[in-house]
Amino acid sequence: MFQSVDEVISGLAKEKYLCNKNVATVVYLGTSLEKPLLVEGPAGVGKTELGKVLADSLGLELIRLQCYEGLDEAKALYEWEYAKQLLYTQILKDKIGEILQGAKTLQEAVDHVANQDGVFFSDRFLLPRPLLRALLSEKRVVLLIDEIDKSDAEFEAFLLEILSDFQITVPEIGTLKAKHIPLVVLTSNNSREMSDALKRRCLHLYLDFPDPEREKEIIKLKVPGVGNKLADEVVRLLHRLRKLDLKKTPSISETLDWVRALTLLNINELDNELVEQTLSTLMKYEADVRKAHQELKAFLAEKQAQQPSAGGSEKDHLH
Amino acid sequence: MEARVIEFANVLRRNGIRVSLSENMDAFRALELLGIADPLLFRNALRTTLVKRTGDVKPFEELFDYFFLGIGQALDALDRKIMDELGLTPEQFQEMLEQIQKLLKEMEGDLSELTKALLQNNRGELERLLRQAMEQEMQNGTPESLRHTPYTRMMMRLQLDRVQSEIERFKGMLQMLGETGEDLQNVMRYLDERMRDLNRLLREIIQQEQRKQGAEPRDYSQRSALADKSFSFYTEDDIRRMNDAVARLAQRLKNRLSVRRKKAARGRFNVKETLRKNLQYGGVPFDIQLDRRKKTKPQVMVLCDISDSVLNASRFMLQFVYSVQDLYSKVRSFVFVADIGEVTKLFEEHEISTAVEKALKGDVIDVFSHSNFGRAFEQFHRNFFPAITTKTTVLIIGDGRNNYNRPSDWVLREIKRKAKQLIWLNPESRMTWGIGDSEMPRYAPHCHIAEECRSINQLYKIVDLIAP
Repeated sequence: MFQSVDEVISGLAKEKYLCNKNVATVVYLGTSLEKPLLVEGPAGVGKTELGKVLADSLGLELIRLQCYEGLDEAKALYEWEYAKQLLYTQILKDKIGEILQGAKTLQEAVDHVANQDGVFFSDRFLLPRPLLRALLSEKRVVLLIDEIDKSDAEFEAFLLEILSDFQITVPEIGTLKAKHIPLVVLTSNNSREMSDALKRRCLHLYLDFPDPEREKEIIKLKVPGVGNKLADEVVRLLHRLRKLDLKKTPSISETLDWVRALTLLNINELDNELVEQTLSTLMKYEADVRKAHQELKAFLAEKQAQQPSAGGSEKDHLH
Repeated sequence: MEARVIEFANVLRRNGIRVSLSENMDAFRALELLGIADPLLFRNALRTTLVKRTGDVKPFEELFDYFFLGIGQALDALDRKIMDELGLTPEQFQEMLEQIQKLLKEMEGDLSELTKALLQNNRGELERLLRQAMEQEMQNGTPESLRHTPYTRMMMRLQLDRVQSEIERFKGMLQMLGETGEDLQNVMRYLDERMRDLNRLLREIIQQEQRKQGAEPRDYSQRSALADKSFSFYTEDDIRRMNDAVARLAQRLKNRLSVRRKKAARGRFNVKETLRKNLQYGGVPFDIQLDRRKKTKPQVMVLCDISDSVLNASRFMLQFVYSVQDLYSKVRSFVFVADIGEVTKLFEEHEISTAVEKALKGDVIDVFSHSNFGRAFEQFHRNFFPAITTKTTVLIIGDGRNNYNRPSDWVLREIKRKAKQLIWLNPESRMTWGIGDSEMPRYAPHCHIAEECRSINQLYKIVDLIAP
């Protein structure tokens, strides 16, 4: 477990995840106070990544639950394995016959069976889904509940017991308590406001787009072959693009895709047609691509305006 | 420290940020762990434990500054300003302060504490005196007193006129000493500036206190007052806030519909699905599968009167309909005064608020003509009537004031017969329908629903009607 805030920063950096002190403080508090983290922010700033990296840096297993509309307990928590139960009853028919032999009345027979029903509603026939797996795991795990805002309000309410007491009630068996309290990371795109009850149980973290310097560092870290100049220009252009009114603002992951594409094409700086053609990796809507084109042109024009003097002096130098 | 944090939590609550007891305890546990030595960690710890809404982060930061940094920042800024104006380096500034201190000692007669603290730039003392006065004022006055003339009363409590006269006296003494040159000029200017600074600080500290007490109404309380205000009286500022409210309304509707969609999963028994699903139980039908009723998304056509009288109502309706347009299979919108024009394309090409502005500005139709509902309806019938289907909801927003033109209410009758729903929203009070040139009594019977829609609260109710 992390011992200090700085350790969080270095620990995550080892897994190629750069974060600032704000993020690190929240992560540190979450791990130390054993409180779930609720991570909010625009798409593609590394919310899910934070959960994954946290697991890697602590060397813990990651259990991931992807939320969607209509997700219910059977898929998130546990399910009885009916087929297996059925199969067992078939195989054990003779044995059941034996149990029932002594019974004289129907009432007695039912009582005999009732005495045995614990066999059929035991852990053996319980099919654990992510949440139960996280609670029953022999070692501490990281539980990533992704896009919690996509789930229904009912499911959110159902999560409350797990998040505050780390236990779960299965009607047929009773209450199951976590062997090790998992580190829980919930991510949300804020497509709907989460309930206060849920928020109260979590530490809140708002992840935003990083500042230019940090984004440059991230690019260099994630795309090893990238040149300094290209990274610099890409970041500058992106911060301009994010200010535009776009249908979908380019995220960090899209930026990385774009830079990878550019490096593959052996482009060292933003200036030729190839760059324009690769814009589609960055922009996902036709209207956005058009806007980005204009911005790119303006960007290149500005760059050119600055360059002649620099180029001229270089030539002088050569002579 | 604990008391301070609890007090801070109260300040947050007064400013509309919900902080529960358990969150307060979390904050303490976090501080135990992190200590309070590092200001950044301290701030982070409080933020992550006490603030859970993204929108609350900004008020938190502001209040944190007020509460824990006090007027320190303001003092810093003032120091920098003086140094800039006098063209002094920090060392020179310090020198000048020492000089003033010496002169102050020589001065006859007692000076008030405040004057001394002010002129010597003793920041701790200055803040203490101001705070003390503020607290006394708070104890004597009612919470309301903060809102009415707090400045004048603080001025009297701090005896600013005395400070003023003392500074004048000090200046007189300097001149008597007969010192000349740039130094004296600088000191004089410094003294004048200091007096103004005191006023600024006073203002700052009053504002901070008001924020802490939640005396300054925050947006949300204004919004609730806004809810009952008639659209026609909206100011620019109201409109801006209203945009937020409409966006929230749209979001609420979307949320609710996503729940409703699930509940609507009743339908006919589906034999094939049931057999397939229950194979795992040996063919015993444990789990019945039903056909999900297919949800048909309705179409909406909005006809907005954009003459001056109903402009705001139209604006919010357009904005609302477009914020929830993915709930509908198609939204078409038209604006009219005397002629009718389609603005659907505007909304496809522009972001909502710009599109609304463009639609209302007269790019499409002449907005300066006189309202003529009859003519607009006839045009609509001629050009767009075939587009109405049994799934279409037609929404008309207008006051029905036809300037005594031909009403052409037969168009509405036709629409009602063909469309799924015809709704008329009127931003005028129902009492005035039919008075003067209002044709509402003629139009209303042709509509499935004709309602008045004068404020955001009424808009809330109407949303239920047009929800798909």
